Amino acid sequence: MTVGMTVDLLRNSQLKFGAITFFAKQHKGDTCGSNGLPLTPNSIIIIGRAQFLKTINSPFLCEFLDVIRGKHERTIVVSQYCGTPLANLVEKHTFSHLQIKKIAYQILQGLSLLHSLKIVHRCLSNENILLQDNDNIKLFNYGLYYMTDNGALVPFPVLDVLYTAPEVYLNGPNSCYPDPKVDIWSSGICLAELALNKSLWSSLNLGQRIRKILSLLQVNSSIFEKIAREHNCYETYLNLPQDLKEIIELCLNIYPSKRPTCNELLSNSYFNDFKLENDERDRKPWRSFDIFTIKELYHWWQLTGGDVYQELKKQGLIRSSPPILSLPSLVLIEGSLLGQERNPATLYDPRIVQMPLDMLYQRFAHISLPAFYPLIHCKSEIISNADPPPYDATGLPLVIKEKDPEYQFHRIILFRRLLHGYPFTKDLIIEEAQKDIPPLLRGEIWAALLNVNSLYKMDYLRLDKYSHTTTDRQIEVDIPRCHQYNELLSSTEGHKKLKRILKAWVYKNAQYVYWQGLDSLTAPFLYLNFNDEAKAFACLSNFVPKFLHKFFLKDNAVIIEEYLWKFSQLIAFHDPELANHLHEINFYPQLFAIPWFLTLFSHVFPLYKILHLWDKLLLCDSSFPLHIGLSILTQLRDKLLTSGFNECILLFSDLPEVDIEKCVLSSMQTYTSTPKSITNREYENELFHQKNELDITGVKIEDLKKELCPRISPNDVIDFVRHRPEKALFIDIRNPTLFLRCSLKDSINIPFSSVSFSEKLLGNLGPHCNLVKSKGDKVVVVIGNSDTDLERFPKFLLQCNVSRVCVLHGGFNVLIPVTPTVLQSGMPT
Amino acid sequence: MANRTAQRPNGQTQGKICQFKLVLLGESAVGKSSLVLRFVKGQFHEYQESTIGAAFLTQTICLDDTTVKFEIWDTAGQERYHSLAPMYYRGAQAAIVVYDITNQDTFGRAKTWVKELQRQASPNIVIALAGNKQDLANKRVVEYEEAQSYADENGLLFMETSAKTAMNVNDIFLAIAKKLPKNEQNTGQAGNAQGRRLTEGDTGPKATGNCCK
Repeated sequence: MTVGMTVDLLRNSQLKFGAITFFAKQHKGDTCGSNGLPLTPNSIIIIGRAQFLKTINSPFLCEFLDVIRGKHERTIVVSQYCGTPLANLVEKHTFSHLQIKKIAYQILQGLSLLHSLKIVHRCLSNENILLQDNDNIKLFNYGLYYMTDNGALVPFPVLDVLYTAPEVYLNGPNSCYPDPKVDIWSSGICLAELALNKSLWSSLNLGQRIRKILSLLQVNSSIFEKIAREHNCYETYLNLPQDLKEIIELCLNIYPSKRPTCNELLSNSYFNDFKLENDERDRKPWRSFDIFTIKELYHWWQLTGGDVYQELKKQGLIRSSPPILSLPSLVLIEGSLLGQERNPATLYDPRIVQMPLDMLYQRFAHISLPAFYPLIHCKSEIISNADPPPYDATGLPLVIKEKDPEYQFHRIILFRRLLHGYPFTKDLIIEEAQKDIPPLLRGEIWAALLNVNSLYKMDYLRLDKYSHTTTDRQIEVDIPRCHQYNELLSSTEGHKKLKRILKAWVYKNAQYVYWQGLDSLTAPFLYLNFNDEAKAFACLSNFVPKFLHKFFLKDNAVIIEEYLWKFSQLIAFHDPELANHLHEINFYPQLFAIPWFLTLFSHVFPLYKILHLWDKLLLCDSSFPLHIGLSILTQLRDKLLTSGFNECILLFSDLPEVDIEKCVLSSMQTYTSTPKSITNREYENELFHQKNELDITGVKIEDLKKELCPRISPNDVIDFVRHRPEKALFIDIRNPTLFLRCSLKDSINIPFSSVSFSEKLLGNLGPHCNLVKSKGDKVVVVIGNSDTDLERFPKFLLQCNVSRVCVLHGGFNVLIPVTPTVLQSGMPT
Repeated sequence: MANRTAQRPNGQTQGKICQFKLVLLGESAVGKSSLVLRFVKGQFHEYQESTIGAAFLTQTICLDDTTVKFEIWDTAGQERYHSLAPMYYRGAQAAIVVYDITNQDTFGRAKTWVKELQRQASPNIVIALAGNKQDLANKRVVEYEEAQSYADENGLLFMETSAKTAMNVNDIFLAIAKKLPKNEQNTGQAGNAQGRRLTEGDTGPKATGNCCK
């Protein structure tokens, strides 16, 4: 396993990328849309549209990687960029006829895919056809016209003068009709250059070139022949094979309607040689698995300090000019500016900057080859010992881990494999997700954790997302205020997608209705699956029953009431002092926690915090949000304890900075240390919480709301007695006669009737009061029966600031039939 | 947030302190939260998030020799949250019912709220009607006169406001403050009423200005 091999894997000639940059059109002045909101900046619309390009994958297209927004509508597009532009080879290299045929075939293959996706290249030229080491070609920059909404969002025409079809000039370069036929013309010119091995009209200036192209409209004979003659290449032209000439001729038809489509050209017998090869590829039942792709490489490159913006700056593509130079001469009262000189930078700059990868190669040079092939299932010790020791990042804060290139390398390599094996690797995915979730793959990992199945696309397709409903107005006013600081969610595409998902959800869940907040809840899923709306929908669809069962019923009052009451009980359980204070100042969760739980904090926190919170939430059950709520209160505890009602509620109307990692840790801590039944709810989803007669069922909301301390199930009590008796203190409050006859093992007896509740003094408990005082973090289980008051006693303990007090559900008698018995009789020894 | 005791800048002894509970009602996205934010913090957010449940804020203004402290309950606009509304307007001495002048339906909804308040809220409640988004007057569909005459018929205060440009925002709260009875009943009510100033003086310029007249 040599070091060199590792770098070879990374140092693949096709795993390279570059960037171009341009300005999007600026909105004039302070303009508002019809809804009174500011117009979406064009660069944001571009970002939204460009996301789709990331999904396109073809051997003949450079993979689209990223689009970044700078100041003043600057837009940077990052894409795979490798090989040599054909333009650099024309006149310097002789192309064999076979080679030209192959290039023609691959150009058309690439275009055919684009056209089938309703994308028109529009600036196809020999500059952006890249010849690879293996003699194949890749088209570059094919997304510009599409992402700029057919050129409407940029201040320059999207075309390459020489290669542009004459009808484009006739319609005016700003006409926004995306006709795929223009690409066929451009291919014709590209091929003509290769066939004649001549850069066409290279000595002419811009205007003359356009005139030349328009002059072709007058030609009645062969356009290709005319071009050849003009360039003194008639000889070469005559020597070309007839079928090549024919193909070029077909492309260069001045009538777009008569120009063939890609697929018509591809079916030409000229390309017969390649068709077999193609069929072969199509016959494979599944796509091969890549250990990693250029997308991951780009991600790692960024983590090793790669910065596209800086590279462009270094190469002089981004230059800042002093702001004083951009002052207008005149500003009209309604805000329009006059007399600003047009910044030449707003024109299109075709330069491409290749991103240097040396940093990445160096940083990853020592990674051994087996690290690319992590063992997942391994029974043999010898083999597993041969695996390199895992990269140790334990103990590092999450944000550091997420920025550590090497750690992310290992995590991504591993998770890609696990996700490839999903659903069979579900258990392993859960296990690994418990450590942490690599941000690059978060969308897919979440989908796996939420059990999204392979049919999700079909499911989504079937749902009506367009018919008008009464909910539309509400959805429409909510979307433009939902996480709008995020570029994707504030883009026009983002708005459309969110609307469709919400409408589909409302359509599919007839038993539920749209509550404000559902938009925020959907936002993280859309953000992570921006290019897979169906998956975002599937995640939401599986998420709601698991965590928000019945919360979106038209009448959800009782569900929310119960949830909030359980929240109060959980506070009382873990932090009686705080609970007593909040109670005293009448500061109830109803007043502040509804948006917390209804949207699982997605309405309260910014996206990056929600992602970390939900990374853990998805691994827990529907009681976890209660613990998150508790941990938020805990973080603000000191402030709350010294504040009155007004201060407290003001604190929450503008939630102060919450340290989310701390929050996650402390919620995990209380979540794991709290017996499950403490947060038991009547309205939880039975699918996820199966119960038997020794669990808690049938607690009415009216009864619940009398109880300040939570109930504990007989199951959890039995578990304590049998496995962890040292973790609990059982207080039997029945009268001594009953207690002596039969009691729970290790329980103590503080008869209810012996305690005076008038003062809040633990001493009133009698001889056992020291046991209670020194109980530490033991759970205090109050056990009574139907004759004892099960509200006053625990309330008394709570008021004396005793933590972890709970009441055995069903009373002492439910323990009698348990076998093997957990009871004893007579005085404990 | 600044949290000081309300002493007059010149150190003069404090006059009467009145505390009032005020609730904002109205269809969603008419600008309730924006009005409050403008009044309390002097800010405006184009993409003000929707309110779920309700939000609570306070603001203190000076009116002659009286310090009026508003406890403002900003409610969720969506019809579904209606069931929560009584919890918020119960015991409120004042209400601002907001509609959007560019949307007729929101005006209809405002009328429904007024009716509900007249029926269910405390009988002496002071109700103000606010036609918000006045900055979009070129897209107006609810005529000023129409709203004014409706307000007159129902004994409501009425103003067209703009949370974006701050037009009439302080004024409407001030008008309410003037109309509220400032008898002993309201002084020192509800919790700790040692009249706190919750924002810096310059965020509510008009209110502060009036106080020093």
